Amino acid sequence: MSAVRRRLRPETIVPVLSFSVVLIAYFLTPAIHGHELSDFDVYNTLQGFASLGLIALALGLTIIAGEFDVSVLGMQALGGVLAVKAGADSGPLGILAATAACAFLGAVQGGIIARVRVQSMAFTIGTYIALLGLTNVIAGNETLTFTNTSASIWINQTVENFFSPRSLIALGVFALVMLVCATTRLGPELRALGGDRRASRVVGVPVDRRLTALFAVSGALAGLAGAMLAYSNASASLNPGLQPLVLAAAAAVLGGLSLSGGRGAIWGLLLGALAVSLLEQVFTVTALPTSSAQIVFGTLLLIVVVVDAPDLRSSLARLQARRASARGTPPSQIKPKAQGAEP
Amino acid sequence: MRVALEQRFGPLAEWRSLRGLFTGLAALGLVVLVILALTTDRFLTVENIKAILSSASIVGIMALGLTFITLIGSLVSLAIAATAVMGAMVFLVELNLGLVPALAISMAAGAAVTALQGLIIGAWGANPVILTIGAGFLLSGITTKASSGVIVQPTGGGWETLNSTPLGVPLGVYVMVALALLFQFVLRRTVLGRRVILIGENRQAARAAGMRIPRITAIAFAIAGASFALGGAFLGAFNKGASAQLEGTTTFDVIAAVLVGGTLISGGRGSALRTLAGAIIIATISDLLLLRGFDTGAQVLLKGVLVVLVVLATFIASGREGSA
Repeated sequence: MSAVRRRLRPETIVPVLSFSVVLIAYFLTPAIHGHELSDFDVYNTLQGFASLGLIALALGLTIIAGEFDVSVLGMQALGGVLAVKAGADSGPLGILAATAACAFLGAVQGGIIARVRVQSMAFTIGTYIALLGLTNVIAGNETLTFTNTSASIWINQTVENFFSPRSLIALGVFALVMLVCATTRLGPELRALGGDRRASRVVGVPVDRRLTALFAVSGALAGLAGAMLAYSNASASLNPGLQPLVLAAAAAVLGGLSLSGGRGAIWGLLLGALAVSLLEQVFTVTALPTSSAQIVFGTLLLIVVVVDAPDLRSSLARLQARRASARGTPPSQIKPKAQGAEP
Repeated sequence: MRVALEQRFGPLAEWRSLRGLFTGLAALGLVVLVILALTTDRFLTVENIKAILSSASIVGIMALGLTFITLIGSLVSLAIAATAVMGAMVFLVELNLGLVPALAISMAAGAAVTALQGLIIGAWGANPVILTIGAGFLLSGITTKASSGVIVQPTGGGWETLNSTPLGVPLGVYVMVALALLFQFVLRRTVLGRRVILIGENRQAARAAGMRIPRITAIAFAIAGASFALGGAFLGAFNKGASAQLEGTTTFDVIAAVLVGGTLISGGRGSALRTLAGAIIIATISDLLLLRGFDTGAQVLLKGVLVVLVVLATFIASGREGSA
């Protein structure tokens, strides 16, 4: 494959394109809405990214490997409550405890998924409900207030105008995952797991161990996101709702990942998450009502999931062939477009 | 081919022995449930059993519809609550036309928006979970906008009928049982039902047999959507109003009922009667925990654990592997 063709692959084009479009929209906002962009807008975007980006990374890693971890929502809630409970005296301890506990639960869940080979999307819907229940039990069914004010202030303080410790941690985690995927075999192995599970087993990828680790990482990232969000808000909510999953899925697909697995890169995921965070910030500064934002994100998700649909191209090709044959062109003269998509 | 190979040589074989373990666990669970039931004050009273059935009914009606989506191999819908709220709003707004027309319009609306999702999933193989999250979000946004964020009030009488209790049992319970019998008949005795199950069991074979997968998927989703809206109408009548607040945990309660009933999450195996049982089991356990003084958190936790165990058990018992 030539260098040009490689650059034109969807996992390259999609994130760059979607990030550019949102960035243009971001810079056009002042002109249309009269709101001057300030350093604070960038800071706020990155604050949003700190939760969304980590959840998108947690979900995205499982998507690349051909799985789908719905339980990130439950891990986020649990992480928040655990951090608030354990971090009352020591901020770092709370974050560590939340991340470790969610990593452990993720590993248990990943071990079961790997050994039984149950569909992870179905299984994690169950664990998601259980995790929400566990969160409620631990919190005693009440929204918890975080009393460690100094930790709250520390994690939200501005660093170099644009950043906060919270967003820097999230960006650092992204950089770390990117580095690991680029320099070790784990990156290619992750894509191989999603591309062809059996082939990766045959060539010697320790599939079960990788899946267990994958869900442990996913749990840890979501737990970390929840812990930092709870610190930042000075309270832990018991149910994040579906919104984080919607945004994370949108970030994953805008980041060039394929929902059927095997395709995507971490830098693309980063751009996708940044794009969605920017979009949220645009909605915030233009004071768009929640319902309108819901309509935009819902529509966005519908569009990307349809474009991503595996049978779309083959069914369009069939339609084209039928039209052509109706016009009297022999079907043999029509270029077959996506034969590979037909099973 | 891949599935067959993995089935023969994969590590699933060693887990087959778990089947016995799960049967044992299920039996143990049942015994514990019976003992708890017998030793809990006020549990075995006619009033309490009525309360269990009535709390199962609205979730049960929607779960019976969702069974079609799960059976046809489209996992679950995450737009259940949004569709139900839309159904409730349409029902309340159209009540000035009378009870039956309002119900019919509400169910038709639910069927239409859900069938559209089914059509896209069936025709293009779009990811059902992501597609329905997106659709649910879009629908919530539209209904909130259309109602300007205020609680939709009934425009006429007739909604009281849905809250009536013929022979002391809420109307919703009759509807749930009737729907379970009807859906059981459709799934077991009609061509449509058999096609739904075959598509869920083996999509390739169904396609090879020349079945129109998009159309049948759309019909299955339409049945589900009509049921979500019907459940929503009951919810709207019960609350004498509808707003986005009604959504609550409905989506996951409904999914839990289908899964706890033992319908295979990947499709092809399950039934309407199983879902009915699932809805009643969850309501019974919640009721028991409530009577014994446990809080909501404990109820949700137990519900989740139950879902996880039953999903694993039905999966292992089916001896099949997930495609993902």
